[in-house]
Amino acid sequence: MAHSIGNGSPPGVFSQLTRRQLVQNGVLGAGALAVGSLGLPRAARALDEINFWATGTLDIGDDGWRTFANDSGVKVDFTDNGNDPGPVVAKLAAGNANDIYDVAGLQGGSEKELARRGLVAPWDISQIQNYASVWQWAKDIPYLTHDGKAYGIPTVINADSIIAVRGKAGSVDSYGAIFDPKLKGKTAMEDAWINSVIFTAIYLKNSENAKIDEPGNLTADELGLVMEFLIKHKRDRQFRTFWNGWEQGLQLLANQEVWVMTGWEPIVYAARMRGVDCYYAVPKEGYEGWANNTILLKSAVVRGRTKAAHQLVNALFSGFYGCKLGLLRGYVVPTDNNVAYATAHTNAFDPASVRKLAEHVKQKFAGKIYWQNTRPDNFQLYETWWQRLRNA
Amino acid sequence: MAEIEERVVPHEPGLGESVGARWRPAGFLLALPSLAVFVGVGFIPLALIATWSFWSFDPDTYWIKPAWSFASYAALLENGRATVFLRTAGLAALTATASTLLAVPAAGVVGLLSGPRRAALLLALFTIPFFTSGLVRAFAWRLVLGRQGVINNALMSLGIVETPVEWLLFSDFAVLLGMVAAYLPFAIVPIVLAFKRIEHSVIRASQDLGAGFWTVLATIVLPLVLPGIVAGFLFVFVVAVGTSMEIQLLGGAGASSISIMIDDVLRVVNFPLAFAIATVVITLLTVLIITANRALGLSRLFESLGI
Repeated sequence: MAHSIGNGSPPGVFSQLTRRQLVQNGVLGAGALAVGSLGLPRAARALDEINFWATGTLDIGDDGWRTFANDSGVKVDFTDNGNDPGPVVAKLAAGNANDIYDVAGLQGGSEKELARRGLVAPWDISQIQNYASVWQWAKDIPYLTHDGKAYGIPTVINADSIIAVRGKAGSVDSYGAIFDPKLKGKTAMEDAWINSVIFTAIYLKNSENAKIDEPGNLTADELGLVMEFLIKHKRDRQFRTFWNGWEQGLQLLANQEVWVMTGWEPIVYAARMRGVDCYYAVPKEGYEGWANNTILLKSAVVRGRTKAAHQLVNALFSGFYGCKLGLLRGYVVPTDNNVAYATAHTNAFDPASVRKLAEHVKQKFAGKIYWQNTRPDNFQLYETWWQRLRNA
Repeated sequence: MAEIEERVVPHEPGLGESVGARWRPAGFLLALPSLAVFVGVGFIPLALIATWSFWSFDPDTYWIKPAWSFASYAALLENGRATVFLRTAGLAALTATASTLLAVPAAGVVGLLSGPRRAALLLALFTIPFFTSGLVRAFAWRLVLGRQGVINNALMSLGIVETPVEWLLFSDFAVLLGMVAAYLPFAIVPIVLAFKRIEHSVIRASQDLGAGFWTVLATIVLPLVLPGIVAGFLFVFVVAVGTSMEIQLLGGAGASSISIMIDDVLRVVNFPLAFAIATVVITLLTVLIITANRALGLSRLFESLGI
């Protein structure tokens, strides 16, 4: 899952306007671009059209969105937001994202921040009929609400752990493999505290009996403990490197640079396609759960798009989107409507595959889960410690 | 030396000097759009960044507030941030030095020993790396330097080593190699310009007076191309200070640079600290360039070239 740090610069304003729009609107499209770049409202659009700004992996392609529009009555114009929560929040706060987009999707944790700053509006759950079908543990993610209001809707869910190369790393069932001296120089973690700190904290809490309450939201002392542990292992040259982005992680495995690394499950499938015999470990310490949440941008409410936005979210849980996303990316929308839709549309989807994918994710969440949090309470202290790690 | 140079490159008066004082207001009006762009797009944003670097982060709003403070500048001295500055500057200086050393002979061939057609062709060849993205170029080095890369495979095939050489990749060596390969053309172009300014008659005269190859090189050629060498060094240095791609792709675990640090800081919306880092970098680079220009007259490189 491309759910933490992307490479390179986030897309500029120009790339945020799709080719389709420019072709549709012609000169108006260019005008909208100019106006958008000045932070002014975009040209008028049909009320049932929603500009959806989310992680690229949530895109189901033109054909998918066409079917989605036919089923739901909501026309979606999708734009990749690069996924890194930092630039996304910055563009909402200091950029013109609120002028361009209606609904956004990003990794959970920054809802409180966005709500406090008046950049997002709360959802009216009563207008999202399909929300009743959402799996309960997904609804219970702690950071979806702020001041009793729902700001995040858990649209895509998964849990991450460790990728291991079979025959090289032995039988891996613990994050301890990442720090195992026998694998010195053959392990890697992600170059992002958002994931690497929580993985380490999960390991220390469960296998080293460290006094850690919530691995996704460490106190200053807990964070110090975790980071000193990481710094020690970095100095011992335990890690081959820290990786950034999908392709880099994949290349590390494909070229046998590392045998064990924390990473995203789709990398395993891609590595297998490149001939690497690897597997996704089931760690005894538990998984890092994550949710990509849909948020309603404040300006969408001002522009009178609240109803269409709610229609969009409702349709995301209607089954088609979940089936399509599962087929394209192997990701799960947390509702049983996916299986129901596949069963009713066997010409388009294989119900058994849809069910298998859902059960696979449910299985992960049946055990210990610690939620990824892009904005822990001490989030600036995390950066400070990460800087120390970089310089260790 | 200065006398020779005065004769070698006659001073060509600029437009303002050649047309007389009565045209100066018109010249100013002509320059006004450019000046407006410079002030509006360049100076004002930089001034704002410098101003905001003295504001404070507000945890209640996750934004900045005009509570004036030096806290961000004090933070530059903590948690190894100063080390990042020094490491980045050191790496950039090494890259610039290596690039310049490689660029001088290459530029000499282009600027001094080649006719116009061959010089144009050679210069075009140096630009080939820019036809692909920097990300792809840097990533390609991983395939060359890795455990199963081209070099390690060759070394093991030839029996020179039994196991792959680990330090070829994810090391300072890999970063330096990637950066030199990427930024070498930035050094070549100004040095070619400097070589182009040398009158062949000066070299012939010195040879007539009995100077050998090394004497000509040391006493005639190098002093005349020194501004170009310094300009080339500075071009590479400035670009290398701002890069992060090669460091992230080819460096070791969590390798850092100034731009990576800015990214990290912006990720946690600590805007004043990010602005302070940027302000320090811009100030130091500006001082460096102005000093070099005053000492060596770098702007003369572009005289008589219509630039």
